[in-house]
Amino acid sequence: MIRFILRRILAAIPIGLIVTLGVFALVFAMPGDPLRELAGDKPIPAAVLAAKRAQYHLDDPFIVQYLLSMKDMFTGHFGTTFAGADIADQLRLRIPVTLKLATLGLVFQWIAGLLFGLYAGFKRNGVMDRLLLLATLVVLAVPGLVLYFTGQYLFGVELKWLPVSGTRDGWPMSYLLPAICIGITGFAGLARLTRTSIVDTANSDFVKTARAKGLGEQRILWRHVLPNALLPVVTLMGIDFAGIFAGAVLAESIFNLPGLGQFMFQAIKLKEGGVVVLLSTLAFLMFILINLAVDVIYGAIDPRVRNV
Amino acid sequence: MTTPGEVLLKVDDLTVEFDTPHGPVRAVDGVSWQVRAGETLAILGESGSGKSVSTQALTGILEMPPGRIVSGTAEYRGADLIAMTVKERRKIVGDRITMVFQDSLSALNPVQSVGTQIAECYRVHRGLSKKDALKRAAEMLDQVRIPAAARRVRDYPHEFSGGMRQRVMLAMALALDPDVLIADEPTTALDVTVQAQILELIADLQAERDMGVVLITHDLGVVSDVADNVVVMYAGHVVERASTAEALDHPVHPYTEGLLGSMPSADLKGQELPTIPGTPPSLRAIPSGCAFRTRCPMAIDECAKEVPPLLTVAPGRDAACILRTSISEREAV
Ligand SMILES: Nc1ncnc2c1ncn2[C@@H]1O[C@H](COP(=O)(O)OP(=O)(O)O)[C@@H](O)[C@H]1O
Ligand code: SF4
Ligand SMILES: [Mg+2]
Repeated sequence: MIRFILRRILAAIPIGLIVTLGVFALVFAMPGDPLRELAGDKPIPAAVLAAKRAQYHLDDPFIVQYLLSMKDMFTGHFGTTFAGADIADQLRLRIPVTLKLATLGLVFQWIAGLLFGLYAGFKRNGVMDRLLLLATLVVLAVPGLVLYFTGQYLFGVELKWLPVSGTRDGWPMSYLLPAICIGITGFAGLARLTRTSIVDTANSDFVKTARAKGLGEQRILWRHVLPNALLPVVTLMGIDFAGIFAGAVLAESIFNLPGLGQFMFQAIKLKEGGVVVLLSTLAFLMFILINLAVDVIYGAIDPRVRNV
Repeated sequence: MTTPGEVLLKVDDLTVEFDTPHGPVRAVDGVSWQVRAGETLAILGESGSGKSVSTQALTGILEMPPGRIVSGTAEYRGADLIAMTVKERRKIVGDRITMVFQDSLSALNPVQSVGTQIAECYRVHRGLSKKDALKRAAEMLDQVRIPAAARRVRDYPHEFSGGMRQRVMLAMALALDPDVLIADEPTTALDVTVQAQILELIADLQAERDMGVVLITHDLGVVSDVADNVVVMYAGHVVERASTAEALDHPVHPYTEGLLGSMPSADLKGQELPTIPGTPPSLRAIPSGCAFRTRCPMAIDECAKEVPPLLTVAPGRDAACILRTSISEREAV
């Protein structure tokens, strides 16, 4: 088990380097000069500009810039943004915001996905099953952006049930609407998979065996169908978990929540390569950890997969 | 306790249809047979002839819908399984009548240890504690001759070989000392030596318990090795019923004859196996009259007129062929 985890972490290192390098290259390749954009129309004294350029290694070759950013990051010298904010402070303030939003969004997504999926699977071809199919098609057809804006307008602006944006109303009020939006965009896939998996498993041979053993329907469902049907569902829940941060970036920008997603958005706009790489690395670490957790859990629930 | 020779399971005029998008199809048509204590009854037929559907329908494990029992009774010691409620049937199917299936890997729950799965029979039907049930499960594994049974109860299905896994299936089916075992192609997925071992094991356990065995197979060799009596099915119909010895020595129905011709036997060794030309009909296009007539070497125009009834040609011998039943009856006089 320990060896399995170590092996996975070691394998992740080169992938992580490639990913962050790729992200850095993308930022580097973007048009425009970062410091000029920050300054806007105001002229900047040549000396100040030169000092800034040196501070952010902007005149070094691409690969040197990348390596210096990586070195700063791993030695804990996060430095400041172009605008002068302390990056470590920013992280301390922003990480909780993103975590709260992502967790709440994930909870909505998982609960809705599992509930609808289980119910549709148990009562296949019933009313709920058909409604779910319809809902899935709608959610898949409507882009996330449209859904977010619609949610914001309907429940925030028109009905005034929930705050339109910002974090002034604190936890959990400020987070409810964006989290619900995240949940709605993501639950349908999970529900469909859960439903399909239950229906498939209910038709499998071992369920026939269970019937031939004279077991009651409830026992067959809970002891034989569900433990098998939920195996692929656990995997998808892990993927959802890892992907929830993508939803968070969008939601934070639209609902103006000061989290990591918004930070990333601003950093990309300003071509702040260092910040972008730092945040990408964080996201990547999260991704690796979640996948590792999914594999460990999967090994525990499926005896055919033993992670040794 | 059963008394020797007692009729345990008596199936009468069982007809099963499936509702398909193209309309109903009849997979089992007027099937009748019975099995006695201590007897091994083989149900023989090519793939798709309705062997599995008929046994699954009478035990109530067939998915219904799309399946539908159109008519028939299946009496376990006088009580009709088909007419009784699900609750009543669960006290018999799984306890007094049990089943094993062909593919033991897919027929066992992959995420439960084999011990837990066997123990479940004792827990549900006998109300035993977890600990006692597991102990009994280990004893059952030992009875089906799985080495190191006490240790292997904790193993999962995928950790057994095909033959060992079929023994696990048997252990589960025999855990409650059933009166009737329905074995649906229990050895088809196994290689020949393992196949022989499993058949021998079934025979031994049957002798110990005086159990009735319904053995479904498409292998005439298996029939000749272990069956006392045989029911031959074709396209959902029973076409011949006889003791194994009679059926093998003097087949009455041309289909049984054809199957015999396709069995590898001593004098055929080294030669090409003769098989019955053609394939079984699709359920959506069963020929009028005798379903076998499209492949029957002696079919005449008469055969297309009506479905030949299953007639007794001699004591304990029935066949459904207009040519053979009339000839035999004439000869019998
Ligand atoms: N769910 C179903 N829907 C329609 N036809 C079915 C269904 N299940 C089985 N059948 C048909 O019933 C016939 C008998 O099948 P089966 O009893 O499994 O044959 P076998 O004799 O090989 O066990 C086959 O032709 C099969 O296609
Ligand atoms: S009834 Fe006719 S077609 Fe059918 S088996 Fe007899 S001879 Fe052949
Ligand atoms: Mg079959």
